Amino acid sequence: MPSVILATMARPFWVIMLAASVYILLRGHNEPGGGFVGGLMAAAAFAMLAFANGVDAARRALYFHPVVLVGAGVLAAIVSGIPGLFTTGSFLTHLWPEVAGIKLGTTILFDIGVYLVVLGGVLCLILRLYEDDDE
Amino acid sequence: MQLLTVLIVALGAAACARPLAPVLGRMTGVVLALVPFALFVYFLSQLGAVAGGNALIETLSWAPSLGVDIGFRLDGFSLLFALLITGIGTLVVIYAGAYYAEKPASEGGRFIAFILMFMTAMLGTVLADDLIVMFVFWEATSLISFALIGFDARTYEARRAALQSLLVTGGGGLALFAGILLIGAELGTFSFSEVALRADELVASPLMPAILVLVLVGAFTKSAQVPFQFWLPNAMAAPTPASAYLHSATMVKLGVYLLARFDEIFASVPAFGTTLVIAGSLTMLVAAFEALRATGYKAVLAQSTVASLGILVMLIGLDGEVARVATIGFIIAHAFYKAALFFCAGTVIHATGIAGLRRLGGLARFLPFTAAAAVLASLSMAGLPPFAGFIAKEFLFEAQLESGWSVVPIAIAVIVNAVMVAVAGVVALKPFFVKPERDVKLKHGETAGMLAGPFVLALGGIAMGIAPNTMMRSLVEPAASALGGERVDVSISLWHGLTPMLALSAAVVTIGALVFFNWRTIHVTLRRQRLIHDLFGDRGYQKVLDFVLDMAQASTRFLQNGDQHRYTAVVLASAVFIVAFGVIVGSGMSGFSAVGEMNVPVLIVLAVAVVGGFAAVGSRSLIAAVVAVGIVGFAAAIIFMLNGAPDLALTQFSAEVLLVLILTAVLMRIPTSREQSRTIGERRFDLMLSVAFGIVIFVGVASMTSSPLDMRLSEFFAQSSYVDAFGRNVVNVILVDYRAIDTLGEIAVVGFAAIGVWALLRRLPARKKGS
Repeated sequence: MPSVILATMARPFWVIMLAASVYILLRGHNEPGGGFVGGLMAAAAFAMLAFANGVDAARRALYFHPVVLVGAGVLAAIVSGIPGLFTTGSFLTHLWPEVAGIKLGTTILFDIGVYLVVLGGVLCLILRLYEDDDE
Repeated sequence: MQLLTVLIVALGAAACARPLAPVLGRMTGVVLALVPFALFVYFLSQLGAVAGGNALIETLSWAPSLGVDIGFRLDGFSLLFALLITGIGTLVVIYAGAYYAEKPASEGGRFIAFILMFMTAMLGTVLADDLIVMFVFWEATSLISFALIGFDARTYEARRAALQSLLVTGGGGLALFAGILLIGAELGTFSFSEVALRADELVASPLMPAILVLVLVGAFTKSAQVPFQFWLPNAMAAPTPASAYLHSATMVKLGVYLLARFDEIFASVPAFGTTLVIAGSLTMLVAAFEALRATGYKAVLAQSTVASLGILVMLIGLDGEVARVATIGFIIAHAFYKAALFFCAGTVIHATGIAGLRRLGGLARFLPFTAAAAVLASLSMAGLPPFAGFIAKEFLFEAQLESGWSVVPIAIAVIVNAVMVAVAGVVALKPFFVKPERDVKLKHGETAGMLAGPFVLALGGIAMGIAPNTMMRSLVEPAASALGGERVDVSISLWHGLTPMLALSAAVVTIGALVFFNWRTIHVTLRRQRLIHDLFGDRGYQKVLDFVLDMAQASTRFLQNGDQHRYTAVVLASAVFIVAFGVIVGSGMSGFSAVGEMNVPVLIVLAVAVVGGFAAVGSRSLIAAVVAVGIVGFAAAIIFMLNGAPDLALTQFSAEVLLVLILTAVLMRIPTSREQSRTIGERRFDLMLSVAFGIVIFVGVASMTSSPLDMRLSEFFAQSSYVDAFGRNVVNVILVDYRAIDTLGEIAVVGFAAIGVWALLRRLPARKKGS
């Protein structure tokens, strides 16, 4: 059903969209972006792949089961809050340790968690819906 | 923090049980039993610490803003329970290891994990000093009981019984929780020790009747008192080791435990004791009647357990030192002989696969040691000397004679105890010695692991009967002192002359023997009597449950009738109503003011959006309609961008793309051209509703934008975001830092919803072919 052009360009597009989504995720703390938008964008990337090359291709590209991504995301967000528990005595108080001159906050782990939950959650829906009945 | 460590160790063992089971193989039960045994030894070493009414107290701050501390308290009474829980727990784990020896290791491991988890919850309940902490553990025991009754989840009976016990005990738990909250509201503390000290204040409070009723409901449901007693016999669907542990020796005594604890506080409320004596006596009678009617091995034992719980509740209702000593003595004696008998029943059912008493017989040849243990335990149950049960029964009668009650409770106690004698005879003699010629095919024999439990308990029953003073001084005295608040001195011997109690005991044994020899006739006659059975059975429960389910079904049919038009109409109409109501009744409109210049780029975008809107309405193809709605969304995103909200715009773009992708996927599954299924009238209504919705939204937005905006929050975040949280993107900083816990909750909800959708959209194999 999909056109040859779409099928051929799906891969490069997928790479570009995924890269963009990660870029948006990482710059989110200071510029427009963040885990939620990044996750939506990454989900769109996989949805396009599923649309063009079939659900199986998208599943293979995803490698992990979407439900696993959801769980890993929630776990990452919870874990990001734990260091705060031991320093200031409050869950989810984010810390900013400096590693090799770059300030690496626990916020980024939290945002990655959001990213994974959104990606996995949306894909739960999309991959199921794009599956063919006779599969 | 010894007591906290105890709980952590027990929970740790529960966590290890399942992964260790395949490694340990047949040794699973014995190795894992070392943990409860170690805890048992620890509690034994604490006997000296609680002697003379002392207590070990530990407090950890938990939620100070709510006045809840993790408080633990080990006094004589909780130590007694802790010893029973860990001691019998050790035997149950060993027994369960042998019971599941032929099954896959995972099953036995899972079962033992539940048992150890239950042990943790049980220890937490009896050790807790804070009422909230106690309630948490209390509910945990209900939940684990649910899992254990439904352990064999493939059978309908097990699932039904599990749900029933959960609804009854969990519901009672909620009542108890309400009672605890009222106590906290009245006294400003949840600490049990403090509540006990300020009992006068509590009793004088106007909330007292409510508290009393709520606590009683909690205790009666847990300890299976009339009218909630029906769940316990049904709970026999659980695997027998669980029945021995939860539904005879420990969990069902929690209600008794709670009542005994509150006895000191409620002592000056006359209704408390009276209610307990009446409820306990009634429970005894109903259970005795049902025990004579019951046909299953475990069912008979279960009914006698209900009767014993009735005796305990009645004893707590009686005042005085003797009643307290009798309560504690009976708890110990009952835990020993009933757990032993359940073990024997488990071995018989495991070996033969037959659960009905009538079809069992002549097993002494095949299971000689089990038969011996059953006889020893049942002699204690029958209350014959020199067993612990005899002493417990003497105290029971003494407490009754000393109390100011009429002869009615005594008569009831004599009858019920006589039935217990008969039951003891039936469960010990019928399966093993009656019809010795009967040939039975055995699936399994008795193994050492299955004999350890019943023998230790049965011999323990004799030891306590022969040397009663050791038990009295080390266990009963501290426990009774802890309950009464004053030091109790008990000294007894097996023989104390020709007393009225002895006469009553003799009457009990004589009547019991008569009942035993006429068991068949009585059994058959009573089976024809359905009135009491129907009156006290679970019919009421079933009616209530059916009613609730019918209500749920009716309301679902009304609200979720499957017509998307209707859902949308309800949502839109409610929105219109609420906004219109707010605009008219509330602050009113502040008037529209179109200030500023004409913004040409915005106008162009809006024009595109309007075109998209018309296209969506006019389009015949659903896919085209979706794309047209997407145009409106993109226009909105561009307007966000033009107004300096790039984050919002970005999100809106992504969401729009995904919405179109998802809707397309859905629409690919249904006919693409719209068929007109709505009548003209319905469509006119839809039109009116849409127009009203549009107007209301327009009015709302217009009046919102023309009222002055409060900029304080925006300014705060703009100023502090980089200083506090090292981020310049305020939206993102709020999401991941200032309000991170909200975001965590939101992504958890998104995750759960997604998993739910994932499961719901799963194609079933059967439907594959059809579509």
